[in-house]
Amino acid sequence: MVQVKDGRLMEHPILNFRRGKEVTIYFNGKQIKAYEGETVASALYAAGIRVFSRSFRWHRPRGFFCAIGKCSACMMEVDGVPNVRTCKVYVRDGMQIRTQTGFPSAERDIFAISDKIIDRIFPHGSQYTKFNNKLIRDFVLSQLRKMTGFGNPPKKEFQGNASYEEIHCDVLVIGGGPAGMSAAINAGKYGAKVLLLDENPFLGGQLVKQTHRFFGSAKHKAGTRGIKIAKILEEELRKIPNVDVRLETKAFGIYGREVGAVEKDKLLRIIPKKIVVATGAYERTLIFENNDLPGVYGAGGVQTLMNVYGIKPGNRGLIVGSGNVGLILSYQLLQAGVEVSAIVEAMPRIGGYFVHAAKVRRLGVPIYVRHTILRALGKDRVEGAVIAQLDEKWKPIPGTEKKLDCDFICVAVGLSPTHELLYQAGCKMKFVPELGGLVPLRSKYNETSVKGVYIAGDVAGVEEATAAIMSGRIAAIHAIVELGMGGEEAKKELEEALKDIEEFRAGPFGERIVCGIEKCILASEVEL
Amino acid sequence: MKVAIIGAGIAGLATAYFLAKEGVKVKVFEQKFLLHGASGRNSGGLTAQFKDEELIKLALRSEELYEKLQSEIGFNFLLRRSGYLKLAKTKEELEEVEFQRRFGLKLKLLHAEEVGEIFPDINTNAFKFASYYPRGGVVFPWAVIWGLAKGCKDLGVEIHDFKKAEVVVENGKVKGVSAGEFHEAEVVVNSAGAWSKEINEKLGIKDERVIVKEEICVTESIRPYLDPYILHVSNGLFLSQSMRGEIVGGIVGKSNGGVGSSFDFLVRYAKLATNLVPKLKGLSILRQWAGVYDEGINGKPVMGFSKVQGLYQLNGFGRNGMSIALACAEKATKEILNAQLR
Repeated sequence: MVQVKDGRLMEHPILNFRRGKEVTIYFNGKQIKAYEGETVASALYAAGIRVFSRSFRWHRPRGFFCAIGKCSACMMEVDGVPNVRTCKVYVRDGMQIRTQTGFPSAERDIFAISDKIIDRIFPHGSQYTKFNNKLIRDFVLSQLRKMTGFGNPPKKEFQGNASYEEIHCDVLVIGGGPAGMSAAINAGKYGAKVLLLDENPFLGGQLVKQTHRFFGSAKHKAGTRGIKIAKILEEELRKIPNVDVRLETKAFGIYGREVGAVEKDKLLRIIPKKIVVATGAYERTLIFENNDLPGVYGAGGVQTLMNVYGIKPGNRGLIVGSGNVGLILSYQLLQAGVEVSAIVEAMPRIGGYFVHAAKVRRLGVPIYVRHTILRALGKDRVEGAVIAQLDEKWKPIPGTEKKLDCDFICVAVGLSPTHELLYQAGCKMKFVPELGGLVPLRSKYNETSVKGVYIAGDVAGVEEATAAIMSGRIAAIHAIVELGMGGEEAKKELEEALKDIEEFRAGPFGERIVCGIEKCILASEVEL
Repeated sequence: MKVAIIGAGIAGLATAYFLAKEGVKVKVFEQKFLLHGASGRNSGGLTAQFKDEELIKLALRSEELYEKLQSEIGFNFLLRRSGYLKLAKTKEELEEVEFQRRFGLKLKLLHAEEVGEIFPDINTNAFKFASYYPRGGVVFPWAVIWGLAKGCKDLGVEIHDFKKAEVVVENGKVKGVSAGEFHEAEVVVNSAGAWSKEINEKLGIKDERVIVKEEICVTESIRPYLDPYILHVSNGLFLSQSMRGEIVGGIVGKSNGGVGSSFDFLVRYAKLATNLVPKLKGLSILRQWAGVYDEGINGKPVMGFSKVQGLYQLNGFGRNGMSIALACAEKATKEILNAQLR
C-alpha cells in the first residue's frame, strides 16, 4: 500500500520524491502547507482545492487540466500579479494567491447561477441578439462591462527589471524536449553556435513524467525509463560549450529572419541562420457533457501531478482512450495506489501496445472497447461518469448506459502538434489525421516550406520520444550542412540518420506515421 | 435593378443592406471570409473629431445610423459611448477643436492634469493637452459585420464569400461581375478597401492612392478600467479596452507595406503604451496582427460614379471606416438609386 500524507505520495515503487523545505502559502486568505519545488497548482491540489477559476461567461467551475501551462484554467492572482498560470509558478513562503473570477471566490461563486438560470433565458450569443431597445441595450452593456475581465488591473507599477538582448547564432532550437535537445546536441557537436530555448524551468519536455521503459533497439536507448533519457541527453548537451541554454524562455514569434522571445523579464531579439522548431504537442480533449468539470483532466496533466510532484490525483480514476498514454497512465495510477475504474475505448480494439494492455488487464482493470463516455456527473467536481456502447456509426446505443464510480476522469485521446509558431512563420500547413492534426509540409530533411525553418519531434507529427530524438538529429545536421559546416563527416551522418529513422518506422506501428508523412512532403521533393 | 458589391466590409454590407431595403436585388462578393479586411482588423474607435466639414457630418450621421441599425436589425454591436480622447504634446495639434465645435460637437479641451483626474493611471507627462469627445467611443467591429450580414441575409441579399470578383465591362459600361461564374448587374460597387485600387487599375482607372499597413495587438484580459478610446496624435499610439477586458492598441500606420506582423512594432508599441499608462507594464501580449487600408484623397473617402459607366466607387476611408462608412453607404445608396431614375 502506497502511503499518502496531506494528499502527497510518500513512497513510490520507481520514483523518489525529494520535497524541499516546508513553506506556508495563502489561498484566498486561508493558510496552506506546501513544499519548495512544488508548483502553486499542485500544492493547492494536494490541499484538496479543485475549483481554480470560473468560466468567462457562465461561471462554470474550472479546475486543473493540462498542468503544463497550455489550458489557462488555473489562472489566478499571485502576489498582486493578475492572470498567472499557477501550474508554472513555484511556491514561495508567504505567497498570496487569490482566485480571480467569481464572487466572493471561484469556489463559492454567487454568479454560478448564471449557468443554471440565465443560460435558459439568455443562451450563448444573446448579448448580440437580444436587448434591441436602445435604453435596455445601453444599460445591459454597462452592467456587462462591470462583470467582464479576468484579473484585477495591476495595483502598482510593475517593478521588474526589464532588459533587452540581441543574440546572433547559427542554429536556434525552440523547445528543450527530446527532439530539441537532440537537435542542439547534433548541431553543437559540429561546432555550430546553438541557442536552445525552453519555456519550462527544466529541460526534458514531457520525458520528465515518463516513468516507463522505452522499446526499440539498444542503440535508441530502449529499456531506459523516459526520466533517465532526459538526464542522459541533458548531460550530453551541457558538455558542449557552444550551446547556450535559456530556460523559462518563451519564443513568441518568427518574423522573417528574426525571432522574438521573452526570458523572464528580458526581451530577446534572436537573429539565427537556421531555426529548428521542436515545440511538441498538446493534449486533445473530447466532447461530452460536463467535460469542463474539475476532475476531468488531460492524461499528461495527471502524469505531471503524480510523477513529477508526487501528488495523488484522486481515489478512483476513469481513463478515456486506450492508446499507449492511457494504458501507461492506468498502470502508473495503480503503482501509486490509485484505483482505476475502467478504460473506455471508442475503437473496436485496444489502441496501444499489447504488453501494456496485458499488464493492466492482469491487475483487474476492465477495458470497454466500442464504448464512449456520455457525461461526467457531479456539481463542482467529478463524482462519477456515464458510459455507453457505440454502434457501427459511432452512435451510443440506447439502453447500454452504465454508471461508473470515479472521482476523476483522464482524457487520453491523443495529442495535436503545437503548430502555432510555424503557422505564424508562414509555413505551408496541412491537416493530416495520421500525424495528429495540422502539420507543416516538409522535405525529407524536415525543412518546411519556409527556407531555414526546420521541424523536429511531435510538432512534425505526433509520434514518440525515440523518433523525436532521431528527427531532431536529421533537422540539425541538415541545417549545419547547409551552413557549410561539418564537412563530409556530417553529410555521411545525415544519410545514416535518415536510414535510422526509416528502419525505426519499418514496424507495424510506424505504418500510420509513414503514411501520414507521405501526405505532407513538399511538392518540390516529389519526383514526377 | 441588380447591384453587385465587391467587398463585404462595413461599407459594402451597409450599402447592400440599404439598397435591399429599397427593393434592389443585391449580391455581395468577398474574396476571402467576412472580417478578412480592415473591417475585421481595426480597433473599433468611433469619433467625429475630424478636420473636414464633410467628414464631421458623415461621422455625426453614422452615430445616428449605428443606433438605428442595431434596433432595426436586432443585433447588438457592443457599442460603448465612453468618449474619445485625442492627446497631443502641443496645442497646435488640436487646433481643429474650434472648427469642430461649429458643427455642434460638444468637445472639451483639457490639460493633462485634468485628464489625470478622470483617469488616474495616465502619465500626465506623456502629453500636454487633450480634446475629449464624450459622444465618441468604441464598437466591436466583428459584431458590426455580423450584424450587417444578418440584416442583409434577412432581406434576401446573397453574400458570396471566398469569391474574388472581377468587374466585367463592355463598351465602357458595366455588365456585371465574374466570380467563378458571371453575375449580371447594372451597377457594381467597388467597396473592396485596400483592394479597391487593384480593381480600379485592372479597369484602366488611374488610382494613385496609398495602401497603408497598420499593426495592432491585444493584451491579456483584466477587469475593465480604461473607458475612453485614446489616440495620441503626436506619436500615433492608440489604445482602448474591449468588452472582454483586453487592452487593444496599436500605432497609426504610415508605411506602404505587406500584411505581416513585426517585432519592431511590438517593441515600439510596448514603449509608447507603458509610457502613457505605466500600469500596463508586466501585462502579457496575447495576439498581434496587421491590416491594410486605402488612404483616400486628401484624407477624404472616394465616393461616386467613375468614368466606367455603372461603376460606383465607395472606398478610401483610411483609418476612419468605422466612424463614417455607415453614412457613406447611405449616401451611396441614394446616389445609386437616383442614377437609376435618371
